[in-house]
Parts: sequence; C-alpha cells; structure tokens
Amino acid sequence: MTRIRLTGLTKVFDGGVTALDRLDLTVEPGEFFALLGPSGCGKTTLLRTMAGLEQATSGTIRFAERDVTRVAPGDRDVAMVFQDYALFPHMTVVDNISYPLKVKGRAKPERTARAEEVGRQLGLEALTARRPSALSGGQQQRVALARAVACRPALFLFDEPLSNLDARLRLEARGFLKRLQRELGVTTVFVTHDQAEALALADRIAVMESGRVRQLGTPREVFARPADTFVANFIGSTPMNLVPAEVEGDRLRVAGGVFAAPQGVVAGSAKVTAGIRPEYLRLHDAEPTDAPDAPTGTVSILENLGATTLVTVDCGGESLSAVVPEDAEPAPGSRVWLTPQPGRLLVYDNDSGELLPRRDPAG
Amino acid sequence: MPVPSRRDDAPATAVTGHADPGEAAFSAGAPRAVDSVGLGRARALLFVAPALLLIGVFLLFPALWTLYIGATNFERTGPNHVNPQVTWFDNYVDVLTDPSFYNSLWLTLLFVLFSAVIGQNGLGFWLAWSTRRLHRRVRRVVESLVLLAWILPSSVVAFLWIAMLDQRGGTLDALLGNPGTAWLVEYPMVAIIVFNTWRGTAFSMMLYSAALSSVPPSQLETARLAGATGGQTLRDVVFPHIRGHVLTNTLLITLWTFNDFGPFLITGGGPGDDTEIAAVYLYNTAIRDGDLGYSGAISLLILVANVVLALAYLRMLRRRDSS
Repeated sequence: MTRIRLTGLTKVFDGGVTALDRLDLTVEPGEFFALLGPSGCGKTTLLRTMAGLEQATSGTIRFAERDVTRVAPGDRDVAMVFQDYALFPHMTVVDNISYPLKVKGRAKPERTARAEEVGRQLGLEALTARRPSALSGGQQQRVALARAVACRPALFLFDEPLSNLDARLRLEARGFLKRLQRELGVTTVFVTHDQAEALALADRIAVMESGRVRQLGTPREVFARPADTFVANFIGSTPMNLVPAEVEGDRLRVAGGVFAAPQGVVAGSAKVTAGIRPEYLRLHDAEPTDAPDAPTGTVSILENLGATTLVTVDCGGESLSAVVPEDAEPAPGSRVWLTPQPGRLLVYDNDSGELLPRRDPAG
Repeated sequence: MPVPSRRDDAPATAVTGHADPGEAAFSAGAPRAVDSVGLGRARALLFVAPALLLIGVFLLFPALWTLYIGATNFERTGPNHVNPQVTWFDNYVDVLTDPSFYNSLWLTLLFVLFSAVIGQNGLGFWLAWSTRRLHRRVRRVVESLVLLAWILPSSVVAFLWIAMLDQRGGTLDALLGNPGTAWLVEYPMVAIIVFNTWRGTAFSMMLYSAALSSVPPSQLETARLAGATGGQTLRDVVFPHIRGHVLTNTLLITLWTFNDFGPFLITGGGPGDDTEIAAVYLYNTAIRDGDLGYSGAISLLILVANVVLALAYLRMLRRRDSS
C-alpha cells in the first residue's frame, strides 16, 4: 500500500493559468480519496499531474517516499481509468484488459490468464471475446476497471469514473466501485464534480477551488461542518441556508428572530453569516417554549423529496428551508417557527467566509 | 406488385398490420421517389441539362474520341491525318509488344512506389505526428512551408528544381562544393522521385494531421501510462484508428502520381527515356512523335491500370469496414 505525499505542488499552464497553487496533501495508504470541486478548480489537473501526464511546475510528488515528480508516467506504477474509459475499439475485452501486461512484455498465456481471472472477478467472463462497441456503458466501465486492476498497480487514479453512466446505473456502479476498492485495498484517488458521489464513496474528501484545497476531511466533517461558505454551498443535495446575521452577546439575530449563538462566537464579529442545513432545521407549528423569539414565518413552497419534504419558509425577508418527514408536512401558507438542532448552527465570517470560531489548526 | 427488398421497408410492413386495408394496400408499393415539388420529369431534366451537357462535351466526348482514334492510324500531320484508316486492334498489339511501353510502366511503378506510397505518405505522416504537440505557431510555420511546395505553379517549381540541380552553377553543387555533377543526367529517376515527394507531401501531412486529431487523447494516454514506446503506441493505438485514412490517402496520391506530368517540365522524359513515366510517354508519343492513334491505345491501357488500382484499394477499404 502506498502513501501519496504532495508538497508545494504548483502547475502553471503555458497560457499563464495557475491550475494548482502550492498544494500540500497526503493520501494515506489504502485510502479511497476524493478530489471534489466545480469544473476548473484544478482537480483533474492534480490527478493528471499525479499520473505524470502533466509535468508539475514546482513542488514534489512522492509515492511511498519515492520522489516521482520527474518520473515518466509508465514508470510510476499507477493505473488510470478515464471518464470515457479509453478502451481500444479494435481489441477484444480480453486484449484490452491485458494490454498493459503486453506492453510490459509478459508472455501471452500469462497475460490472458490474468485478464480472464480479473474479468471473472469483475463479472465480465461472458464478454471476454467481444469488442467494446458491443458492450453497454456499465460493462465498458468495468472493462476499464479490469484493465486497471490487471496490472496490479500501487495506485488507482479515477477521472470521473461514473459520470458517463445514467443515474440508476451510477448508483449500482458506485457500490461496485466501493466494494472493489475495499477488497483490493489499493490507494485510490478519484476526481468528481458530484458531491453526493464523493460523500458516498470516499474515506476522505479534498474540496478544491482555484487550485487550492478549501477543506480536507471525512465526508461527515465536510458535510456537517463546512470550513467556509464555498464548501457549505457546494456540499449537500439541498443547498445550505446561508443568511445574514448579527451577534448580540450569546445570541444570534437571524431572519427577524433569535437563535442561541454557537459556543465561542464572540460579539467582536458583529456582522456574520449564519449557516444551517435544511436537514438540521426543525419546524414547529406553535412558538416553542424553550426557544422564545425563534424566527417565524409562513410556508411558501413544498417540494416532495420522496420520504421527506423540503419546506421553504418566508421569514423576516429571508427564505429558510427545512427538511421534514413526509407525515409532518405543514400546510402551505401556515405559520411556523424554526429552531436549529443542537450544535448544528454554524457561523461564518462575512469577510473571509471562514467558519467561526476559528479553530486552532493543531486542534 | 412485388415489394422491393430494402432495408428501410420496415415502416411499410408495419403499416400492413394497420386496421385500414386500403391504406395498407396503398403503402405496399411505397418505396419510390416522390415528386414533391410537382415539377414533372421533363422540366426536372431541363434543370440538369446544362451540367449533363458540360460533362458530355468535356469528359464523355474526349473519352469516346480517344477510344475511337485508338482504333485508327490517325496522326498529327501527313496523309493519315487527312484520311485516317480504321485499323481496329493493331495499335494495341503494337503497344503491348513495344519495350518502351513496358519501360514506362516500370518507371511509373518506381515513381509511384517511392515518391508517393513511401515518400509522401511516410514524410507526410512523420511531419503530422512529430509536430502535433509543438506550439501552434511553430506548427503553422512548418505547415505553411510544406504547403508552399504544393501550391506553387508547376512551371515555377520546375524552374527552381532545374536551377537547383543543374550541372553548371546549380545550387546543390554549390552547396556540396563539388561542381560538375549533372544530377538530372546522372540520377534522373532519383531526382524526380525526390522532387515529387517534396512537391506532394503537403496533402498527406494535412490529411494525417486531421486524422490524428480523431484519435482519442485518453487512449494515447492509456498507452503512455502502460509504458508503451512510441512505436508500440503507433502500432496499437494510432494506426488502428487511422487505417481508413491511410488507405484513402494512399489511393488518392497513387492515382495522382500515376498520372502526374510534372516531371516532364524538369527532364522531358530524358535523358533518353530514363524518366519517361506513363504520362510523359503518352505525351511524347502523341505530341512529339505525332502518333495520335497509337497514343489513344496507350491512354486506354493506362486508364485500365488506374481502374485496377482503384478497385484494389476500394476492396481493401471495404474489407476493413466489414471486419
């Protein structure tokens, strides 16, 4: 198992665009690691630089303490799965899977045996003689995975491995991919722009923007405590409520009402942004006794999410949304009160966009 | 009425199952061109007539005329010009027993093989492949220079090459510092082969540039990540993708080179008949020697050779598509 250590990694393209900006990152051995971000954030460049397809402008890349920054892609012992799978259309499935072994000069019986074994492992045994054009999207993806697995690399790099599949197949492939990675235990870095995919698959996520890592953490940390408003906006299938707020002592004035301020947020930062996920906001049909002056308003929109409903409430000139179970749905136009679940209310600095109170980096 | 068996008769079959039998009967003979504008056959022909006329006058008539004079003893001057006699297949028998005909075929074969199939093809591909990752501006300059050789008028180009290869004060001799080598006399075939490679590479280069951009970058990168060498990448990834382009390009430049008249402007077919390739042989027979009937027979034989070549390539292309 291989640890990846990137230090001060910078990539500036010929046109002067800085794709990676002094990046420091460590991926632990056996970890399933996601690079998440909007398009143009540098995540694909980072993956390609690790593969050696792009040359770093400065900084170092180490695989298991070996400096590979200037090593040719073929000598890095990595396997990459591309978004379009990059299967060779003129080769059969078995030839595609065994291609890296062929390049490495293995004898034909050996590489065919390996390709068939890996193919069986990935449920491709009935398809080995076919050409890629005779395969479905999901099957093609598994062939591409099998080709990566067959050469037993130290590292897997996946570039948007699921984005060419349709929605239902994607869920299926997600489970498959996660199980495969667990079984093989190979350090894996994958790139995605889909936050749900990153949350579902990864052991840890690096959320990137403009060539820098905005937040690094487990899916739970990234979801529950986004480090800044960019991450808060990007993560979550229903967008986080981000509304202007004022700190008054230990209270937070929000949307015409008052919440108890999170611990450690002091009055010094008077103008702030309050952030709370709709999933963590409770609805009450009467003023709650334990939270007097809670924000209140009328229900304007109901959006059915299946087992839950997304309720949008107009209160004090702001729109706040909350997710409620299907049987607790309020009537449109009715008056409701809102309170956060304990410990779920977040406060962001208006200038820097960072989460308050700032944590000691060591802690 | 029998329904023609076509691949797209499926809709008609579907309609046959329809509840209304009248409609089914109506559409049974459906696959036929529909005159949707209401022009009528006569007026439609009128629109096509000018094009047909031009094709007839400038393509069809000369072809038939050549066929005709090939069967006569028609000459440029003299009594046989005024009063040509039909000699039927005499010309063909003469051509097929004439050593200079086989000489010209052999020279044409060498010319096509070395200057087009190997020279232009190879050099064009190499230029396209080796410049593909250079900076756009550098590539433009290379492309422009190569293209220049292609777009200059033949007469200008011929003059330049004579000036370069001439025995008295030729540029090449001056560069090499050994005056007195008469390249066009001592190495005439090599000279026109190098000339034609230089002259025609632009087309292959541009065609291969376009073809190479159709190779998915991710497949090239997969080969790179596997550690494939340049040769392996070409063999395993690039050529399978551009095989159709290679065949098409080879077909086109073969036919063009086969009928190329450019070398005439440099060597005139000489010295002697050392560079008398097919087109030059034909010209010399017809215009210099005035033997028009004989040259008619030669041109028909050259046409047959062209058709055979084209059919062979097309067959290869089709086999590739069906595999």
